[in-house]
Amino acid sequence: MKLYPELDGIGACRFAAGALVTALLALAGCSSTPPVDRSDARDRYEDANRKVFAFNMGVDSYVLEPVASGYRNTVPEGGRTAVDNHLRWASMPSTAINSTLQGKFENAALASLNFLVNGLTLGFADLSEDDQEVQREDFGQTLAAYDVPEGSYLMVPVLGPRTTRSLTGNVVDFVMNPLQVFGTSSTADAVRTAQAPVGAVSFRASNFDAFNDVKYNSLDPYARTRSVYYQTRRGLLEDRVADRTGSAVSEDEFDSLFEEAN
Amino acid sequence: MIRRRFIAVAIACAAFVSMPAAVAGADDRQAAASGLIDTMIADLQAFLATDTGDVEARSAEIDRVLSTYFDMDTITRFSAGQYWRAANAEQKTEYGTLFREVLCGTIVRNFDQLNGLAYTPGAISAKGDKFVIVGGTFTDTAGARPPVAVNWRVLTREGQPPRVFDIEIENLSLLVTQKQENVAVIRKNRGQFGALIEAMQARLDAPLHSN
Repeated sequence: MKLYPELDGIGACRFAAGALVTALLALAGCSSTPPVDRSDARDRYEDANRKVFAFNMGVDSYVLEPVASGYRNTVPEGGRTAVDNHLRWASMPSTAINSTLQGKFENAALASLNFLVNGLTLGFADLSEDDQEVQREDFGQTLAAYDVPEGSYLMVPVLGPRTTRSLTGNVVDFVMNPLQVFGTSSTADAVRTAQAPVGAVSFRASNFDAFNDVKYNSLDPYARTRSVYYQTRRGLLEDRVADRTGSAVSEDEFDSLFEEAN
Repeated sequence: MIRRRFIAVAIACAAFVSMPAAVAGADDRQAAASGLIDTMIADLQAFLATDTGDVEARSAEIDRVLSTYFDMDTITRFSAGQYWRAANAEQKTEYGTLFREVLCGTIVRNFDQLNGLAYTPGAISAKGDKFVIVGGTFTDTAGARPPVAVNWRVLTREGQPPRVFDIEIENLSLLVTQKQENVAVIRKNRGQFGALIEAMQARLDAPLHSN
């Protein structure tokens, strides 16, 4: 379960550049939280992050949750699937480029093929007959593949949790996405502009109950969100998500288990 | 009522008979873990077949499943992280009770999502000398929800019966998530284990949000 969409593709990245600047400006005005006051050693801006999280939860309560509720109650399943297909299709160029940069040439070829074939319907219908699923790759994963440190944990306004590396990756994906140069008509522009908010609503609707359970019923929604983000991201980075037979968790997590007895 | 009780007793007996005995050797670990999960799934499916939606009955069933198939002592200890050692005996007991209540409540709250799911066993792999990962997939028989990949992390210690230790849904560990949340609550309260107990009690006392 992801609590916030990674907002693949160009639509997401429209937010990313602005969000990066906003986040960096906000953090520039904040001192880091002293290690002793952090609930997680990786969260050096925890105090500021918690404030942004509270803001994001407000946005969710007043905008995203009611819209997502309406979306899943009124849009038929076929329509929602078509939207999901389109959002996934729009992320294929980024996946193809980043797969190539990481040396995952088979995935790059699959993403390119998927983009070309499904481009006939702007991705709303999945025409590909290949059973092999394209694994999403973004520039944050590419940076990780080149051993760039993940940096600090950031709670970005509207976008949600990121690390500085993954947020940088979002911006780069936006800049180098070839979809930017496709289609200059007002229709194409409108489709691109709508992708981010539609993606956010679609993600929220798809994870409606799980998201609400975290939001309303957990002890510390902020800490739970951070845990889910790091686990999900690590799974992507280590390709454990692609390999469903593997475990989601690093075995290091359990190393201390039997030492902690009593 | 009598029929339901008879079915429950029969299932419990069947579960006891078919449940893997203590793990004898490394070669048996994977089979024992897989057998445990198969038995548990069959057990749950039998309950779901007769489920009337009664919350108390569901709570009792979940409590029984946790006792029968899960290593609750080890799970409880792990979920408090390094702060378990800082807790006194009374706090440990209180925390164990509350943790179990919270866990039961979470499962019961989401119980309806289990209806209409078919389970397909997946790959099995050993992790070190204590864990076996048993994979599987839940599929919505009505096709309304996408398939959900699940990994059961089973603790297989020599000389002891296998027990479920963690559930990973779509590559997300429920236990690790809970542990990190619990540790965060303690750390935000200057390492006071009692703060976690208070937070859990407050959570249990507060009205739950239902979707």
